[in-house]
Amino acid sequence: MCQSGNEMRQNPSHFEGSPEEQQSAKKVENNYRDYIKGMNFFDPHIHMTSRTTDDYQALADAGVRGIIEPAFWLGQPRTGLSTFQDYYNSLIGWERFRSSQFGIKHYCTIGLNSREANNVPLAEQVMEILPLYLYKEGVVGVGEIGFDDQTPEEEKFYRLQLELAKEARLPVQIHTPHRDKKKGTERSMDIALEMGLDPRMVIVDHNNEETVESVLDQGFWAAFTIYPFTKMGNERMVEIVKKYGPERIMVNSAADWGISDPLAVPKTAALMTMKGIPAEHIKLVTYNNAIEAFGQSGQINESDLLEPVSIDQSKKYSGNTVLRGGQQPRIDKSSVIIK
Amino acid sequence: MPDKITGFKTLITKILVFYYTFSFSYVIFDKPQILNTKNQRFMSYKQEIFDVFENNASPEEIEWLQKQAEKNTTGIKMAFVGAPRFISKKGISPFTISVKESNFDVSAANWSLDQLARIYLLLHFDPTDKDSYFSTIESLFLSADINEAVALYSALPLLEYRKDWTFRATEAVRTNIGEVFDAIAFGNPFPAIHFNKQAWNQLILKCIFNEKSIHRIVGLDERRNEKLAISISDFAHERWAANRTVPPLIWKLTIPYVNDQIVKDLDYLMKTGDNDNILAAFLVLKASTNSNGKALLNKQKSKIETLGDTQLTWKYLEK
Repeated sequence: MCQSGNEMRQNPSHFEGSPEEQQSAKKVENNYRDYIKGMNFFDPHIHMTSRTTDDYQALADAGVRGIIEPAFWLGQPRTGLSTFQDYYNSLIGWERFRSSQFGIKHYCTIGLNSREANNVPLAEQVMEILPLYLYKEGVVGVGEIGFDDQTPEEEKFYRLQLELAKEARLPVQIHTPHRDKKKGTERSMDIALEMGLDPRMVIVDHNNEETVESVLDQGFWAAFTIYPFTKMGNERMVEIVKKYGPERIMVNSAADWGISDPLAVPKTAALMTMKGIPAEHIKLVTYNNAIEAFGQSGQINESDLLEPVSIDQSKKYSGNTVLRGGQQPRIDKSSVIIK
Repeated sequence: MPDKITGFKTLITKILVFYYTFSFSYVIFDKPQILNTKNQRFMSYKQEIFDVFENNASPEEIEWLQKQAEKNTTGIKMAFVGAPRFISKKGISPFTISVKESNFDVSAANWSLDQLARIYLLLHFDPTDKDSYFSTIESLFLSADINEAVALYSALPLLEYRKDWTFRATEAVRTNIGEVFDAIAFGNPFPAIHFNKQAWNQLILKCIFNEKSIHRIVGLDERRNEKLAISISDFAHERWAANRTVPPLIWKLTIPYVNDQIVKDLDYLMKTGDNDNILAAFLVLKASTNSNGKALLNKQKSKIETLGDTQLTWKYLEK
């Protein structure tokens, strides 16, 4: 109808540069994509709430078929229960919709993050509404929970939420602390085991060279966050997969409002290809393992991921010409003309 | 002569007495019947939904749903949230439900089985106490994911205290989530029955603005109004100024209110050379009484003939 692609083609920009210029510009920009042609990715930790719609477009273009958005804190503490509820609503509503416009299946984990667990009166109110959300469609785990400052309050709410996860038979996504990481990681695992959780139902996140061995040895899933400066770089990630193999290892971006990269998963896959990691292993750590781990929730249907355009199409989109998964109108980002 | 007048007066009085007696008794005797019908109709929403469900569901799904519907309020709420874990999401063939105290139907063109189950459950909340009935359903709205919201909004015409859900219904028009908007806009008679003119026009204009076809909106012809017709014309001017187009079907909304400005718009449509635009202009002009319009119709006869088939209707533009 209006603003169709045809119209755009009929009115080409006069500022497009020579074909040679375009060619070389594309090559520099998209070089890494040559190494991941036809590959599918699943980013099991990304905070899309704080990203723009351009990022969704970029994720779709890079082959990301599904994502998990863990509930976390928003950069500053919340002052009331309603803002928690609105945030959870956005994870099961608005973000899900935004994502579907690009054919990306959006899941989430719901939980009370460790920082805000320290505000006990508010945390107690949040605990009351959590069960309501854990049983929602597409909620694939309790997360991200665990330790930040490693206070007694954090431990209290971590334990309470492990209990909820057990009841709801949902996987747990554990955030491990930035400071005193090794001890915090061990403590998180000890408590989970002590409370009788099956380590196969627990994904320990933000691992590094120091924590990975113990996590894998005890039977947990080990997630690695490729995040500049503060977490893992992807060259280190390549070495880890070389050393430990692909079993129970997964890569994520944890992209949020910080200096982070939503394309960390496809970029890491490209680097792995360049460095000679077998394609089968790359597929496991950037796609299958995360789906298997969080799929234990019963809320991930892999066929939805591979045919994203048909997601819910039978009932939701028929008869509509826009806002259909994967059919968002494209714009030429390199053009100075905006129509 | 006076006798005649008196006799006439007496006759009139007799007729009036008879009329009032009759209508009074009509009120007296009919009232319980109305209540009765209301209850029966309420039962029948449940029954109608269940019949469709039964025709599409497995024995396990039917058993699950029947069991949940018997639970208390909290149990039904939990079942509403958890329904997709037990009920398939497959699409069901179109069906309609006629809505009580209205001239409109729910037209379920693309409902899913889990949506149907959720709507069935919503009909089982006890409506005796209005406040608790409201807060129960409102709490579901406040924590709804997309599919839950779709089920809730599509159930609005079937709920008790129907008119009082009007504000809630307008919230779905304000949403930017496509499916939620669709749930109130398409096949749903709630806006046609309860929206005031302002809310109705906003629904139509937002639908057009979002490039969704208006033809599945219930009550499209019945709720046409002059303000909307003028807004349609203004909207078209904006789009044309931006070198964009408007869907031809929307001109149908101007039919009873074609003024000289709209005649100019239709003239412009004829000149675009687009067959759908020409057809729309032709159909409006044919139905309108505006004299300039009639003149335009005569002037553009040749163009209209290029359409070939002059038997085409609005149906052709419903896309």
